[in-house]
Amino acid sequence: MRGDRSLYILFFLGCALTGVLILYPAYYAVQLSFFDADSFISTPVWVGLENYKTVLADSEFWSALIRGIIFAGTAICLQILLGIGFALILDSAIPGKIILRGITVLPYLLPTVVVALIFQWMLDDHIGILTVLLENLGFEEAATWANSPFWSMVLVIFVSVWLWTPFVTVCFLAGLQSVPEEMYEAARVDGANAWQRFWHITLPQLRPVLLVVVLLRAIWMFNKFDIVWLLTGGGPMHGTEHLPILAYRKAFDAFDVGIGATISTISFLILTIAILLFFWRFPIDERK
Amino acid sequence: MSEKDKKGSKSENIGITEKEISRRKILQGMGAVAGTAALSLHAPYIHAKQKEIRFLNGEPSVQSVRAMRFAAAQYEKETGIKVQMDTVPAGKAFEKVQTSIKGGRPYDIATLIFVGDVLLLAGENKLVPLNDIIKKYDWGPNILFPMDGNNYWYPYDYNLCWINYRMDLYEKAGLKEPQTWDQLNENMTALMGDGENKTKQGIVHPIASSGATNYTSFGYLWANGVSLLDDDWNVVLDDEKNLGRTVEYLEHFQSMVPMMPPGLAKAGWGILVGGIQNGQLSHCPGTGRLIDVINVKNSELASNLGIFPFPSPDGSNVALNHGYDGWVVLDTAMSDEALRFMEWFSDEHLINFLHTSPVHYQPTRMDIYEDARWLSHPDIEKFSHITSWQKRFLTDENVIIKSIDTEGPYPDMRAGKIFRSYALPEMLQNKVLKGMPADECVKIAADKMREVIAG
Repeated sequence: MRGDRSLYILFFLGCALTGVLILYPAYYAVQLSFFDADSFISTPVWVGLENYKTVLADSEFWSALIRGIIFAGTAICLQILLGIGFALILDSAIPGKIILRGITVLPYLLPTVVVALIFQWMLDDHIGILTVLLENLGFEEAATWANSPFWSMVLVIFVSVWLWTPFVTVCFLAGLQSVPEEMYEAARVDGANAWQRFWHITLPQLRPVLLVVVLLRAIWMFNKFDIVWLLTGGGPMHGTEHLPILAYRKAFDAFDVGIGATISTISFLILTIAILLFFWRFPIDERK
Repeated sequence: MSEKDKKGSKSENIGITEKEISRRKILQGMGAVAGTAALSLHAPYIHAKQKEIRFLNGEPSVQSVRAMRFAAAQYEKETGIKVQMDTVPAGKAFEKVQTSIKGGRPYDIATLIFVGDVLLLAGENKLVPLNDIIKKYDWGPNILFPMDGNNYWYPYDYNLCWINYRMDLYEKAGLKEPQTWDQLNENMTALMGDGENKTKQGIVHPIASSGATNYTSFGYLWANGVSLLDDDWNVVLDDEKNLGRTVEYLEHFQSMVPMMPPGLAKAGWGILVGGIQNGQLSHCPGTGRLIDVINVKNSELASNLGIFPFPSPDGSNVALNHGYDGWVVLDTAMSDEALRFMEWFSDEHLINFLHTSPVHYQPTRMDIYEDARWLSHPDIEKFSHITSWQKRFLTDENVIIKSIDTEGPYPDMRAGKIFRSYALPEMLQNKVLKGMPADECVKIAADKMREVIAG
């Protein structure tokens, strides 16, 4: 009985926290998207779907959406590929495995702002170690990345991969521990080579982990604001400006809270639809 | 003896029955006592509570915070009113003001650095006029930004943007302060090179979509007599008069690019200060903050810095990019107290505060330039060659002081929206990074400005 009461208390506390910290702000943002307001203190004027019409007719929005998909898609693919690769290496019998596993997680432990500053210094136009390296390798255009939308996008993707691949690695490493060794032994007896063992045993066994990791990374990368903002601020020439940055710029910089909220709401809807499609195509609950 | 028996006997001992002291009775009694206590204590508590003015300071340097806290302590000592000082970077002050209003506990006084934010708050009736305080003093030009005949802010400094240069290098190379764009380019070229008394680059002007670009990269445009808006709020950047002049400005800017360091699209305040501090640049646009910062770290270098306004193509005009900071008093229950504090601070402590960044906090009140207290600071004397320029900037009618956010016939949000649209920085990006023809860059910028104003 006492256990039931604790359960109810914790449940209602969770609901209350979710309501106050997530549902109400989300509701408020959606509500704001139907109003025209210069700031958060202005008296909002009801405009119905006008903001949605404006945003959907704005080429800035579509460009930002495409850039967001490129940024998130590329970063997720690289994180998954590298994460699986590193997990396989760390799962094999290599010397110093435990120390290596610790080092691998290190980037994930660093605060994003620290990572952004480190990379800005390493890519400084004059004294950056990576700048000098790139120049010596013949990539002079990459050395002046800040002036190039393409190279700025490459940079934010690279840093995102560096920063969050360890999370993927740890997830896959944990998944690998649950694959029964007997399956590999049976496969070896049947003459399967390393690639065949990976393709027919490891990958299917990692499927549930893979699906969860792809889902989480997709949500996080699509909404990722901090690293892009800190590294490039969305520039140059809007070259790295995706939906979260566009929404922030409109709401907090351009005196257009309504449009900022509309962009956020549309972004939320896109992500929700994408997740529902993902669940429909890749159901995670295998008991069904 | 059972527990009940024990209780019963105890009750009987004090002469009342168990029924009389039931749990409900006890709870009722406690509730009555608590209620009476709350009612009796509440009113005196309110009356006895110390009055508090909440002040949002937007100057986060140690010296400035210390000066503000000292003033707050003095005020509390003299009046018994506490001044609670919160500090945020100036760029974040407006967000903090908004959240304080939405949160139901607005600040009583706040720092703002953008006229658009002041107009927005005043338009929403969130500010109280400072007319009585303002009319006490003689103010410099183009700094009060009145709205409907009321003054809603107390500007405490000009942040005019000029060009800083290395006086020592000029002297050794026998150069004179430039009067024209060509002379400026010639001077920079003469000072560029390897070896002693040479710099790697001439100057840096940011081109990113940022406040730094808006403040530091358009002085030449103003010096060339360009206006963004006419008296009816029409965009005139690409009209017959201004198009040619803006094209000239863009061509001049392009001519300086080879003398600038790479990475202009991410250049910000740090690069401006760092470039001249590490000897890489001979010139650098900026406000007095640059000199104050360098003075702390390298006093000798700071002594070798001079300033001049942005020149024009033919030497007929000079210009400065406008900048300012100020305080507003919000419409709260403590507004009257806040106004009294502002008046007291203005008379008693403003100069102490200005001294915490002596060159950067250029006085907005003309009386301060003659005030012995202000003049007594050693850095005002040390940089007299700069502070004398500062006063002249305000009194010389030939000096143009303009900025994107203060364009137009009167202070209005429309200019603020153009500032925040970064239409002019994008004009520079189109020219410098994309290599587009100058007139096309101007047309695109003008169209964006029209779109922003219409929206």
